[in-house]
Amino acid sequence: MFLLIGLLAVSLFGIKVTIIANAVKGGKNTQVVDWFESFLPQIEKDLGIDIELIQAGIKDEDFKARIVLDIKGGGGADIMWIDGFWVPEFVEAGYLRPIDDILANVPAWKYYYDSMKDMGSYKGTTYLVPAGTDVRMIYYNKELFKKAGLPVDWQPRSWEDILNAARTIKEKLPGVIPIQLNAGTEMGEATTMQGFFMVLLGAGGNLYDWDTGKWVIKSSALKDTLNFYKTIYVDEKLGDADLQVSPKAREKTFDLFRQEKIAMYIEGTWFYTSVLSPSNPSWGFPDRDERIGWAAMPGRGKAGDPEFVSISGGTGFAVNPNTKYPGLVAEVLKRILYLEPQISYFEMKPFVPPRSDLAELSWTVNRNSFIAETSKALVKYTTFRPGFPVYPEISFFAQLLTERVVTGQMDIDSAIEEFANSVIDVVGKKDVEELP
Amino acid sequence: MQNSVHLVGKKAGFFFLLPAIVLISVFLIFPAIWVLYIGMTNETLTGIHAANPEFVGLKNFLRIFNDKFFYNALRISLLFVFGSAIIGQAGLGMTLSLITYRKSAKFKSFVQSVAILAWIIPEVVVAYLWVAYLDKDFGTLNSLLNWLGFGKVNWFYDYPVLSIILFNTWRGTAFSMLLFSAALETIPPSYLEAADVMSTSTWRKFKDIILPNIKSYIFTDLILITLWTFNVFSPYLLTHGGPSFKTELLPIYIYRNAFRYFKIGYGSAISTVVLLINLALALIYLRLSRRSSK
Repeated sequence: MFLLIGLLAVSLFGIKVTIIANAVKGGKNTQVVDWFESFLPQIEKDLGIDIELIQAGIKDEDFKARIVLDIKGGGGADIMWIDGFWVPEFVEAGYLRPIDDILANVPAWKYYYDSMKDMGSYKGTTYLVPAGTDVRMIYYNKELFKKAGLPVDWQPRSWEDILNAARTIKEKLPGVIPIQLNAGTEMGEATTMQGFFMVLLGAGGNLYDWDTGKWVIKSSALKDTLNFYKTIYVDEKLGDADLQVSPKAREKTFDLFRQEKIAMYIEGTWFYTSVLSPSNPSWGFPDRDERIGWAAMPGRGKAGDPEFVSISGGTGFAVNPNTKYPGLVAEVLKRILYLEPQISYFEMKPFVPPRSDLAELSWTVNRNSFIAETSKALVKYTTFRPGFPVYPEISFFAQLLTERVVTGQMDIDSAIEEFANSVIDVVGKKDVEELP
Repeated sequence: MQNSVHLVGKKAGFFFLLPAIVLISVFLIFPAIWVLYIGMTNETLTGIHAANPEFVGLKNFLRIFNDKFFYNALRISLLFVFGSAIIGQAGLGMTLSLITYRKSAKFKSFVQSVAILAWIIPEVVVAYLWVAYLDKDFGTLNSLLNWLGFGKVNWFYDYPVLSIILFNTWRGTAFSMLLFSAALETIPPSYLEAADVMSTSTWRKFKDIILPNIKSYIFTDLILITLWTFNVFSPYLLTHGGPSFKTELLPIYIYRNAFRYFKIGYGSAISTVVLLINLALALIYLRLSRRSSK
């Protein structure tokens, strides 16, 4: 019915459905643009409408601000490819359209894992179709490891193992930065997720106590986390602290990794499948599969610490409540979620599949087994961030905390004190706690 | 009154003023009141308070005065205005206009063209040029220093405030230079020629002839560039307010709260305070200039 009205309207007015993604041809997530270009023309033909892909190749924080302002201003793209992590605060603000009615007509919806459905829903209603999730690990350059006399098949079991490998590289390969552990506010959320959380979780800590519902402002795990940062950046100079705080720090570390001037880099699935992908003109390695290895990120190594850690994010498709053509949007979304385009996306830019039909194919579809292996090894350890509206600000103070320590501006105790006060300012005294 | 001449009647006068009053109300007064109102709510861009903002009275304003980031931003803004507007743009502008004063037209137009070039290039392009110039790893300046045998300097990190002050001085000197050059032209040449005959020192000529004659222009220049510089946002393109808030000017501080943390209410409250600071600065300058012109 919607479709008929839609078709009629098209012939009269020329209807356009818009999709926005933080991807730009030749730059950030270039594969996403290629993918859309490969199948959107067919959908346009099927439905007799125009579909426009709005490209943006900007920082995630800026992309979020853009989406928010678009919707608040009464406009915005009809289908938005956004971070699943934004769902709660967007829903509270009335920025997302419930999509259970749309999904009732999407045959593939039954294949989505429950954990992934949870990521896209809030208070029992679905707002987002997960497009993919990820895991985090340590990448290392096997060539550099070989030159430094380190084993090419490498799996650290504790923080000390990581530090020892870094020390060897520093000694044997002058001019190579042994390890990139994101720190500082310039890297934004990449510091919180790839850096801070990956260390903190390994010491058995967290930013948020899920049992009590309070934010953790002080703990020995936090202190150890910062000590690990301090060892790397201040005491032994196994990482480059100046680099963390210079403008465009993240792009620069990608450059340096590509130039084989960084040996170890803690990052997510995306780093391997997009940044280092042979198809990436800026940072890709043609021989990535042979040259770049990965290892699970170990815990601190004390009794009772987790063996390995990982933290996950995920993105997905959401529908703008301002959309003029909900019926057509449903038809477009349904076709994006067909298995064929999903497989072709998976081939271009592999991700940890959110649905079982795709996961079963992941062993055979993609010639390299990276996704299948990392999913198998790490999904069981992975965790998610506390997705509350106050999170971005607290995350910022966590980034600042690492910045103050790695640049030597403050000693660990006073940096934690500042952090604690800032968090109290944000959430109030009753919603924080100190752990031993 | 007999000695006041009315070209038009009171009613007609009001009628002529009406369009201006409407425009100012719609584009200046109403937004200012709106910002004041939003500043008294806890409105955010996402989350529950985006849909249902609550009126919180003066809570945001009280919070500002307990927020050490506000004082940090205020301090840096004042430093930035003093360094880049008063010392930098006005000082350099005055120097350039004096250097070219009573010199050949060719020389004058060359110096002015170079300064104006920096002024008319789009902001974003200028920011990129400066990043390309001062960057630690691929910057021109460091390559140059390296070639001369010096080590690399992380300018944005080690000298953040100085970097943005230099940037803004370079960027905005043209305005002051042009204004002062024009002002210098208003001095009757005979004054300086007479001084030349008496072989007066350059300093005396500047202090006793030039300065008194262009004083009111200097005040106008200072009012304008102070207010502009106070509200400048482009250093954000260079340093993003960092490292660690060392270049977080007031407008960047507002941006961080309103569009990074989405706290529109709090951001509006800070904007109101900044608006009042601007008004206060303008009033101080106006009083000074009135006193000096008496």
